[in-house]
Amino acid sequence: MNKGYTLIDGTIILNRELNDLDLFVKDFLDVLKKYSSYLVVSGYVSISSGRTRGTEDVDVLVEVFDKKLFEKLFYDLEKNNFWCYQSDDFEEVYDYVREMKSIRFARKNEMFPNIEFILVDESKKAKYFEFTHPQKIRVKDFEFLIPPIEFEILYKEIVLGGDKDLADAKHLRLFYSEILEGNKFNEYKKIIIGEIKNEIEKNTRI
Amino acid sequence: MKSKKIPVSDMDYVEYYALKLKENNKLFSQHKKFIESQYKGSSTLFRNSYGKGEEFKKNARTYLKSMKLI
Repeated sequence: MNKGYTLIDGTIILNRELNDLDLFVKDFLDVLKKYSSYLVVSGYVSISSGRTRGTEDVDVLVEVFDKKLFEKLFYDLEKNNFWCYQSDDFEEVYDYVREMKSIRFARKNEMFPNIEFILVDESKKAKYFEFTHPQKIRVKDFEFLIPPIEFEILYKEIVLGGDKDLADAKHLRLFYSEILEGNKFNEYKKIIIGEIKNEIEKNTRI
Repeated sequence: MKSKKIPVSDMDYVEYYALKLKENNKLFSQHKKFIESQYKGSSTLFRNSYGKGEEFKKNARTYLKSMKLI
């Protein structure tokens, strides 16, 4: 009997086998990593850490793209057996990217699970903070980047707040209790609450 | 065992399972079965309904538009 995870040189090593959902995410990230940095956030962070629940999508943050680079990524994903919900026409899809609207990719002949490709830039302060402070996590030979666990917990508790999110947050708090740091909770809480206040002010002005 | 509380609510079970899993990675085998069962179920449902290739994409986009998802 081994522990569920170990922390080695700052990388969380999950002591489990890869499952089909991991392989789907891995195949997508293997292409994406050639063109951009990324961060996997939300449900898949909890599920990969052992939370037993279903999901339809895997949320991936990506920094805003240059058109030529996005074109290469788009056709590389197509070549690697993914299709885009929005269109097969790269020009049409790039309109979404330019406007920072999310787009979705799934494996060809499948709808779910899909990757929600979420664009971020410095104007989205909380999302940009997690994007620039990644935590490495590994399952067998699959290493990927997630937010600091403390940030992920707080985001689920404060911003999302649904039953599913609170259950995910509780799972993460207990599963990773030995490596969570109180001072990080204090630091990240300020960032998240600051972002909420900004959003409220922006909406009030409108 | 750290918690001797008998689980009652859904949240109690989340707590019970997280604490057990932290100490015993053998529980990940059940996790794998659950995740793969859900994964296969959702893949098969739409593949059977929408066909393959271009036909699949056309039908899927019609559905997504009707649901205002794209």
